[in-house]
Amino acid sequence: MRKIILFFQIIITLLPVALYAQNRAVTGKVRDISGVLPGVSVVEKGVPTNGVTTDVNGRFSLTLKGSTNKLVVRFIGFATQEVTVTDDKPLDVILQTSTNGLDEVSVIAYGTKKRITNTGAVSSISASDIRTVPTANVQNALTGKLPGFFSQQGSGQPGKDASDFYIRGVSSLNPAGNQPLIIVDDIEYSYDQLQQINVNEIENISILKDASTTAVYGIKGANGVLVVTTRRGKGGAPKVNVRVEAGTQQPTKTPKFLNSYDAAVLINEAQMNDGIQQSFTQQDLDAFKNGNDPYGHPDVNWYDKIFKKQSYQTNANLDISGGTNALKYFVSGGALNQNGLVKDFADPQSLVNTNYYFKRYNFRSNLDLKANKTLDLRLDITTRFSDLNQPYNQNAVGEVYNFTKTTPFTAPYLNPNGTYSYAYSNFNPEHLPTLNARLATGGYQRSRRTDFNFLFGATQKLDALTDGLSVTGRIAYSSIEQFTKQIFNGGIPAYHYDPVTNSYALRPGATYVYSTYALTGNTDLNSNNYNLQVYANYDRTFKNAHHFSGLLLFNQTANTAYAAPLLAGSLVGVPQKFRGVSGKLGYDYKQKYLLDFNVAYNGTDRFAADHRFGIFPAVSIGYNLVKEEFFSEALPMFSLFKIRGSYGLVGSDAAPGNRYVYNQVYNQGSPYSFGQTPNPYNSITEGSLGNANVVWERSKKLDIGLDMNLFNDKLSLTVDYFHDIRYNQLITPGSVPLVLGVDLPAVNIGKTRNQGFDGQISYHGKAGNLQFNTGLVFSYAKNKILFRDEATPAYPWLAQTGYPIGQQYGYHSLGFYTAQDVTAINTYMAGNGNSNVGNKNIAVPDNGIPIQPGDLKYQDLNGDGIINVFDKRAIGNPNLPNTILGLSLQAIYKGFSVSVLLQGSFNYSFAVVGTGIEPFQSQFQPIHQERWTPNNSVNAAFPRLGLNPTSVNSPTAYFSDFWLVNAYYVRLKTIDIGYQLPNKLLPFKINNARLYLSAYNLFTFDNYKKYQQDPEISTNTAGDAYINQRVVNIGIQLGL
Amino acid sequence: MAIIKNTIMKNHKNIIAAIALITVIAGCKKYEQFPVDKVGIDYIFDKKDSAGVNAQKYLYGIYSVLKNGHNRVGTDYLDAASDDAISSASSPTNVVTVLSTASYNSYSLPADENLWGTYYGGIRQANEFVNNIEVVPVLAKYKGYSIKYLWKSEARFLRAMFYFELLKRYGGVPLMGNKVLTIADDVNIPRNSFDDCVKYIVSECDAIKDSLLTAPFTLPESDANADSHRPTKGSALALKARVLLYAASPLFNGGNIDPTNNLTGYTDFNAARWAAAAAAAKDVIDLNVYSLVPNYKNVFLDQNNPEILFMRQGGNNNSVETNNGPVGFTAATGKGQTSPTQELVNSFPMANGLAISDPAANYNENDPYANRDPRLSYNIIYNGAQWLNSSIQTFEGGQSKPNSALQQTKSGYYLRKFMGNFETTNTYSSHNTDWLILRYADILLAYAEATNESAGPTNDVYTTLGKIRQRAGIDGGGNGLYGLKAGMTKEEMRAAIQNERRIELAFEESRYWDIRRWKIAETVMNQPRTGVSIVKLGSTLNYNPINILTTRFVAPKMYLYPVPYDEVQKNPNMKQNPGW
Repeated sequence: MRKIILFFQIIITLLPVALYAQNRAVTGKVRDISGVLPGVSVVEKGVPTNGVTTDVNGRFSLTLKGSTNKLVVRFIGFATQEVTVTDDKPLDVILQTSTNGLDEVSVIAYGTKKRITNTGAVSSISASDIRTVPTANVQNALTGKLPGFFSQQGSGQPGKDASDFYIRGVSSLNPAGNQPLIIVDDIEYSYDQLQQINVNEIENISILKDASTTAVYGIKGANGVLVVTTRRGKGGAPKVNVRVEAGTQQPTKTPKFLNSYDAAVLINEAQMNDGIQQSFTQQDLDAFKNGNDPYGHPDVNWYDKIFKKQSYQTNANLDISGGTNALKYFVSGGALNQNGLVKDFADPQSLVNTNYYFKRYNFRSNLDLKANKTLDLRLDITTRFSDLNQPYNQNAVGEVYNFTKTTPFTAPYLNPNGTYSYAYSNFNPEHLPTLNARLATGGYQRSRRTDFNFLFGATQKLDALTDGLSVTGRIAYSSIEQFTKQIFNGGIPAYHYDPVTNSYALRPGATYVYSTYALTGNTDLNSNNYNLQVYANYDRTFKNAHHFSGLLLFNQTANTAYAAPLLAGSLVGVPQKFRGVSGKLGYDYKQKYLLDFNVAYNGTDRFAADHRFGIFPAVSIGYNLVKEEFFSEALPMFSLFKIRGSYGLVGSDAAPGNRYVYNQVYNQGSPYSFGQTPNPYNSITEGSLGNANVVWERSKKLDIGLDMNLFNDKLSLTVDYFHDIRYNQLITPGSVPLVLGVDLPAVNIGKTRNQGFDGQISYHGKAGNLQFNTGLVFSYAKNKILFRDEATPAYPWLAQTGYPIGQQYGYHSLGFYTAQDVTAINTYMAGNGNSNVGNKNIAVPDNGIPIQPGDLKYQDLNGDGIINVFDKRAIGNPNLPNTILGLSLQAIYKGFSVSVLLQGSFNYSFAVVGTGIEPFQSQFQPIHQERWTPNNSVNAAFPRLGLNPTSVNSPTAYFSDFWLVNAYYVRLKTIDIGYQLPNKLLPFKINNARLYLSAYNLFTFDNYKKYQQDPEISTNTAGDAYINQRVVNIGIQLGL
Repeated sequence: MAIIKNTIMKNHKNIIAAIALITVIAGCKKYEQFPVDKVGIDYIFDKKDSAGVNAQKYLYGIYSVLKNGHNRVGTDYLDAASDDAISSASSPTNVVTVLSTASYNSYSLPADENLWGTYYGGIRQANEFVNNIEVVPVLAKYKGYSIKYLWKSEARFLRAMFYFELLKRYGGVPLMGNKVLTIADDVNIPRNSFDDCVKYIVSECDAIKDSLLTAPFTLPESDANADSHRPTKGSALALKARVLLYAASPLFNGGNIDPTNNLTGYTDFNAARWAAAAAAAKDVIDLNVYSLVPNYKNVFLDQNNPEILFMRQGGNNNSVETNNGPVGFTAATGKGQTSPTQELVNSFPMANGLAISDPAANYNENDPYANRDPRLSYNIIYNGAQWLNSSIQTFEGGQSKPNSALQQTKSGYYLRKFMGNFETTNTYSSHNTDWLILRYADILLAYAEATNESAGPTNDVYTTLGKIRQRAGIDGGGNGLYGLKAGMTKEEMRAAIQNERRIELAFEESRYWDIRRWKIAETVMNQPRTGVSIVKLGSTLNYNPINILTTRFVAPKMYLYPVPYDEVQKNPNMKQNPGW
């Protein structure tokens, strides 16, 4: 609204054009990288009264009157540009997006704030900056772009590749309590609804970080808020935008596994270490090496056999916007198709597509209707359909890692007669048919999801009552339904071929023919959400000095998720209710002294009736020094110098486990049988005790910020320091004895501190025809547990209080036991009743497995000679990085543009266990060749090999800092190189055409060699997630 | 003002419409205000529920606290932590290995044996039932009273059972009475003495024995098909006999590991405790309802046999076979989880009843499994045993001991007990996998043991043992003593009974506790566990003893479990067991 007022103000002031000087006519067109820009102000430099705005096709014409020969092109959301008029050719002006101008607005709760008058901690970007990033999920494109935004992408599987994200890190001990609130067009969305949104529909994304900006969300605001606004029609003739792109996906890392010969050598060595008979004779090894017996001694690289080098994705978007004064529209449609990396194993027996894939179709229609002079209506309708496919019951990625399921020497890819083979080796006790056989015929699991969102709103201006007052009502409805069907086939004929006798033996238990496909299905997601909002807005400036704004909001939500209930079998759901009143009051005096007061009074039905509602107030102040004469005279290069601070209280209503913590509930237990013929009887068991006094978690948030713009806004800086105390956290007390006999409810007792800083520096400039823009985004957030109700630990190093949330615990590695160590241990034990207890010099694990040289040695923290749970301590960092940096560079030269984002994450740790690294669980990897041997005892990067899966060398049994990598990575996260065709080349009706090449995760630099995994992997997992993808994409964008 | 009014008039339609809309929507507020899908205690113990439907379900929840011992501990039998077996998966995190190698402390006692919280949960539920069942107006009658009083006695039986499970692990534990604590109560409850706990369990058994069902079940009083395997009078008496047997045993009676500590046992020795144990066992025998079934293997397969005093039904499946069966059969997968030891194999006598060490026994070291007590083949699969239509090969490199990375026997033996009769089939099929908690053979052995201790090796002791050995298939011998030496001393008879318990009750969670209550664990568990390595040369088999695991037992502290570390930290009145 204020944009439009401002726009009219400009027009009005520009209308009486002064008539003097050279009278040179200039025409041109203004665009940004995604198309033409209507409504841009083009003013002659030095003659502020001589200006026009661009038409719907971005065109303008102006007659110069001054002598500077320069135009100032200015538009909200973009860096202001000066253009020199050199000849009579039409100008082609390309603007760069910027959110740093004084009048730039950030979308905040139920409104917007200008940079100059903002007092809270907000970061925002224009979605046009990330529209060409080739990823299906908007949150994947935000890391490194928004200060205070932390994310981790744990999987690259099509349709499941959305990042987890947090605003300013995490501060709740309650695992459910760290998810930011997501608001799309003022309506709450869930995490998975957000990832379904097409970036093409988005106008702007903001994150709200401090108490003053989140207090109006009250009970839901403590984890920060991600605010998305969608695009709307701006009026005028229909403007059509088409964007078509296609790209390739490749894993960011391609794992390498040892071949049969190398693996067999290591297997023999491990068996020798363990003193058992070796599996492979010299003849076997020779056969593996020669490769002259491909069926008796296969050597199959299953990764290469199963996975493609690359897979394809396409994305197409079409949007049309325009309208009249009375009706404005934005209509868009999009289709995304991501294929999976598994090869297409077409099998004549089964023509089903078992590959991974994701298809999504988006549709949005946003309408603005002016019913009369004072009443505006809006109607937004969105639907999204998606199909997510994956092989039935097999994690193809996990299986190529998994040594017990398949090994390079266990089976040929196909038998000589074309039949499928199966894992014949004793190392593969399940003797499964080969992975290609199972992928070809095993069937698939397909989830079909439909999202529907509807928003109807009406704004009534009440200037008649008092100027600047309006009332808005909104009703929103959203629903999600997901149906998953499985089609699967259990019986696969597979044979073992014996080249010596030239005979085929059927896999034991298998059938000679394929069984028929079985089909099952179920609705696994079914939820809906109703939302009602009514609010009054007030905005008025008195005497050109006193600016007041206000908001009073009533908000009510009912959210129903259908899930299996307590004592019944069918899917039912009881809605969760949320209701509240919020208010905002803002005042500024000549934009110099700024004061904002925000408050919410709201509650949810999660809590008992008398503890439902709480008040969440926040206050923020700002002081614009640049408006002081003494300052602007002394430091005239500053166009903005503002210090601001906010302090307030916000809440989080997420509770672990039982939704109604206040209530003790009784659960269905396992049946118990009586009777001469077993007769199962259903049982009921007592659930956790109720906590009648349960309330929301609270967070006291302090934020101190500084905003600066210098040199005509070319250089800008924003930095925020924050200090949050999260208290009343809902955690299960650890200090009540078990004789109580029942589980305890979550109680409001946990307390953590989270502090850090974030911000960005950006500079945009111009050298000749080269425009450039560079920015550094930095985020740092470090938390510490101040109180969690733990029983006094046996040793101080076992305590969790005082460490960050998600701190990892394990043994501290001291390298490898040497032969001397083993002798010393044996000597001590011989003299001490065969026990190492009390050995101060060298400790041994208490697992009964004798230590050998080359085993991992751990620090004996309590000095009792024994390595056991008492010797675990905090090691490494949590899995979530606490520092994120993003460096973006953008340059535009005539029609060419390049933009690059380098993103780095620092200070985090991860370890891979099980099938990802452990010998005889994982396929042998190059790291295993660097194992400890008597000849390689100094430079060994891996302990001695052995078959025991839970010896001291196993990260599963003995999680230690030998396995934990204190990691960092720097990524060429996104890149966009484009060329905007010059006007004269554009055929009729096309007003803009841009060709571009974009990429995601193009290069990664990391600091570890132990694991062949993407650096964003979750810690303590088997590393069998679908590896994150590098995408290289080409596209064309056309404006009509 | 007039202007304002005028404007409002002009827009009145919009405003009225908006207000109406808001009112309609905001007015819809009588929505479900509380979690209607959740149920509370009033629903369980419903004053209007004349059938007691939900109260019964709650009672079954208490039953569910009872443990099914098949591969219960980690994925092993508890007795794999005794000298009878080891786990084939022995590794530091493997629970039975942790237990048998003394690799635990009060902080790290493995969850499957760290049952303090589990049984206090069961006790709490029983108390909740006992306290609240009165309000439910159940109409059905048993013995002239509302059947809810029978249910109440069942809850009390289960509660007594849970206390016994705690008692044998920890010694005296806090007795809760009928109290159901809330978070606001003082939860810093001290432990009761061992004596108090025994008395409480015994008094509960006595109090409920006559209000429980009586076997065999006959209509109209009780329905065999609905009521089988509920606790009966026999169950209560058998539980009492077992508690008294434990209480009379050396660990608690005269051998208290902390002689002046009344939490860990009696502070004196009293021979009358053996007499009380014998009398309690005699009470069960004198019911004349229970008997030994002729076929030892069927005890565990036939759900409705007269030997069962109390059990927890398992499923109808072949999980025992898939977990413990020999490896190497693709059509009948087995994980070979349990590796019985040579010590257990050696404790089975010959078919003539003589121990293999007896020169008269005709034991042949080169054909060690021939002519043995038939229970050897009922309990253990050894090399050459008939199984799955083949002759089992556990010699080195044989079908069931291939020496690959695959989990397989470490001792040369596999478990046979509890399995179906799959000697001559190619695959496994489903059968009942019940877990027998109290059985008549156990009562007979308890009677023999307690009588021998209190009155010496009387004829009664000989005949009682004889019944067990007769059913096992041992030759009666000319003297009808089934190979038992005539005229044994009390000590000799004690050894004979202890061996009989070991082989009769193998893998039934008996041996693990017996070596503790007899206080022999420090001897037997501090010897290496052994197995056999059979090397096949041509058609000759060479049997070589091998050490398979060095077990460890730290006396005296390991005779009782440590109270969980946190319990002692949280509760200032909680005393830890000595040594922990």
